[in-house]
Amino acid sequence: MYCKILSGGVMGISADFVWVEVDIDTGLPSFSLVGSLGNEVRESRERVSVALKNAGFSLPAARITINLAPADVHKEGSGYDLPIAVGILEAMQYFPGESAEGILFLGELGLGGELKTVRGVLPIVQAAKAAGIRECIVPKGNAAEGAVIPGIIVRGAEHIGQVVEFLQKNGERAAERILPGNGERAAEKILPRTIVEAENLLRAKTSQYDDFAQVSGQGMAKRAAEIAAAGFHNLLLIGPPGAGKSMIAKRMPGILPPLSLEESLEVTGIYSVAGELKEGQALVTERPFRAPHHTSTSVALLGGGRYPRPGLISLAHKGILFMDELPEFRREVIDSMRQPLEERQVQIARVQENIAYPANIMLVAAMNPCPCGYYPDRNRCRCTEGQIRKYRGKVSGPIMDRIDLWVELQAVALKELQQKTGEETTAEIQKRVLRARKRQEERFAGSPNRSSRVYRFNADIRAEDVERFCPLDNAGKRLTERLYETLQLGARAYHRILKVARTIADLAGEEQIREEHLLEAAGYRPGEM
Amino acid sequence: MIKEQNTEKQKYACWLCSVPGVGDKTIDRLRKLCPDVEGIYRGGEKLWEKVLSERQMSSVREFASRTDPDAVFEALLRKNISFVSVEEEGYPKRLKVIPDSPFGLFYRGRLPEEDILSVAVVGARECSAYGSYVAQAIGAALGEHQVQVISGMARGIDGISQEAALEAGGSSFGVLGCGVDICYPKSNQELYEKLAKQGGIISAYPPGTEPRPQNFPPRNRIVSGLADVLIVVEARNKSGTLITVDMALEQGREVFVVPGRVTDRLSDGCNRLLKQGAGVFLSPEDFLREFGVGEKAAQKAGNGSSGEKSIDPDDAENTEGMLAVPRKQVKLAPELTAVYQILEPEPQDVIRIGEKLAETMGEKTDEKKLMVLLMRLCMEKLAVQVTPGSFALLQFGPNQV
Repeated sequence: MYCKILSGGVMGISADFVWVEVDIDTGLPSFSLVGSLGNEVRESRERVSVALKNAGFSLPAARITINLAPADVHKEGSGYDLPIAVGILEAMQYFPGESAEGILFLGELGLGGELKTVRGVLPIVQAAKAAGIRECIVPKGNAAEGAVIPGIIVRGAEHIGQVVEFLQKNGERAAERILPGNGERAAEKILPRTIVEAENLLRAKTSQYDDFAQVSGQGMAKRAAEIAAAGFHNLLLIGPPGAGKSMIAKRMPGILPPLSLEESLEVTGIYSVAGELKEGQALVTERPFRAPHHTSTSVALLGGGRYPRPGLISLAHKGILFMDELPEFRREVIDSMRQPLEERQVQIARVQENIAYPANIMLVAAMNPCPCGYYPDRNRCRCTEGQIRKYRGKVSGPIMDRIDLWVELQAVALKELQQKTGEETTAEIQKRVLRARKRQEERFAGSPNRSSRVYRFNADIRAEDVERFCPLDNAGKRLTERLYETLQLGARAYHRILKVARTIADLAGEEQIREEHLLEAAGYRPGEM
Repeated sequence: MIKEQNTEKQKYACWLCSVPGVGDKTIDRLRKLCPDVEGIYRGGEKLWEKVLSERQMSSVREFASRTDPDAVFEALLRKNISFVSVEEEGYPKRLKVIPDSPFGLFYRGRLPEEDILSVAVVGARECSAYGSYVAQAIGAALGEHQVQVISGMARGIDGISQEAALEAGGSSFGVLGCGVDICYPKSNQELYEKLAKQGGIISAYPPGTEPRPQNFPPRNRIVSGLADVLIVVEARNKSGTLITVDMALEQGREVFVVPGRVTDRLSDGCNRLLKQGAGVFLSPEDFLREFGVGEKAAQKAGNGSSGEKSIDPDDAENTEGMLAVPRKQVKLAPELTAVYQILEPEPQDVIRIGEKLAETMGEKTDEKKLMVLLMRLCMEKLAVQVTPGSFALLQFGPNQV
């Protein structure tokens, strides 16, 4: 008896269909599993046979052959357990052949027959929807994430027994054919479809990030954080220990515009592939904030590995990657950040395939001004020039070049800590950021750029488009000429100032970049140190 | 004939000074046994053994087998390095009279003139903007009045004062803790070359000697020894500068000290010296007057009236000639002027500047406006952004980091 069951696997962050072909034939009893399998998939044989036995379905003493097609694509992950089990049971005629038609199966089996959550459900369901598949059956813990895709039925099952029962009833429904009747209702009762209102989830979320009002003083750093958020500029916070660098960084996701449904699905997809969604979690509703430890390797940060997985930089997609103690990171790790910061994605090359993980992040980095942390206060800082230069040199030029805003924090006086009045809240700051965002949206929508990529934020503007999107009036031109000369700017630094000035003008609600915008933008630079 | 004899003698002295591991103390003891340098060379191992340790002996043997006085001297000439020993005419008289004066000096350029006032300016390597400004002002004033500036060519105060003296057209001499053919620190390469032209680079160590930490305290005695007066600009308690001060006092040199604020750790050493009775450095003019330099210069210029009006240092009202934070006389918008007046030589953080501005203007200026004002001053070349969040007056510049 032969049958085939639809399933799927992830490649990078997109999904491919996999057909599980099962054949049970007379012959010497055996159970073979083929089709370019990874370790977890090969082990599936043991899990499935024991799970089926414990669920009350004994395997026949026959020759069982299973192929995962297409056979030339490497397969990994534990999600093929369920389709394999369903295929065997169908081949054993536990339910009519047509009852599994048009359904995609995904899930890991425990030895008792229970279904366990797997990675990558969202992109697979997404692909199924795009291919016109009617239904998906996934582990209950994954049902919510699958159900965020509208126009496809997603059912969550807890046990293989439930799935079989459902398929039996479903067979009856298929037999009724013309009028949906008892069979369908009975089937629906066994495995009800999971319904998730994605839009509502996004709207109803309460922020998990702390409020900016808790940060006393540090007006300059807060202002820089606001500009960074409005234009999605990379930001470097410099300051002595305890000045509140991480405090500000951690509050930054809160002032970014809330995730749109489209963005949220993109982020959730990555989290799904990385196995970072909590059980039963439908969507990532907030801007991600990821803070790798400075001992992280470049693989942990960028992703990769023998079977590639997204790294922290991709998990921070559409949100913030916070690198505290930037000079403490390994040189090679810092250098490897250059390409993703430029391309806004991570390219991972393998012999068989190339994978691209999205990595459109805002980099927020923090560092001390010198090894002891007190430069330029020569009363406290006794670091020699050489030590300071070495410390700064650890953060190489190219990544520093990609940081648009440099800002310094000062040790907070007790006085300031005590008078906690009138600090702006996250909501107030976010309101201004949203206004600036809107201006950018309108600007970029009205004028498609030369490069194929669509600009979303001012920070995205490429060198060749700077003049177009950041035009200056005569006063502005004169001023930039003088700035260029007195501050001895390079071309990159010059463009950086223009882009930041664009964002400052957007925050001020002005279309024309004015002198004061340029001057303020020029202030967020490394200084002469 | 006499000259030839002298050159011969010089060769042997130079050879003796070039033996690795043999310092001034050993040479002194050798000379007590045999006052003639040629005799020391010719005396061979029999003579040396009486004074030298085993290690020094093997070093001398190795050196003697490798080279001879002629070769050593020729190598010097090739490198354009001169040598003078304590037995020669050209040896600085000031050094002759100090305790344990070095037996020989290697130098590039020339040695300080005997009959011109020479002043040593010393201080911290990691100095503050205040220190660097005062060092610069002292160097410039001394250079302008053709007073010779002696120092150690180190980072910070030393180099800044020497640089300023040369810039003002004066002469300056750098005493190194390594061979004169090595520029240490490397960052002072430009100064090193200028010194060789407009003054001299001097060392008691033979060419090729690496800058080892133990070389520096002994060279400090040469810095103070070559000078008539010592000015200390910034020094922490327990700093190398204070070693130079001790040497200077031992050598009977006058010591002047630039006072600092009692809250500045970089001035602790200075203030302590003041308490012990060191001379107070008030301004370059005041200092030069004390040594009769400024007046001579004024008279030379035929400025008789200024001689009459000559400033009474004890006149409390008079601020002429005093060092002041040099702010340019420029026309600026009132807000800009206010910020400009607040800026100091020391970098101040933006929050502090904002607080002071609020005091003068009577209302708080928000961060973005403040940044705009500060950057405008930077653009006018009146201010400098030292770090992203701190600004200083441009004249002082950052501490070359």
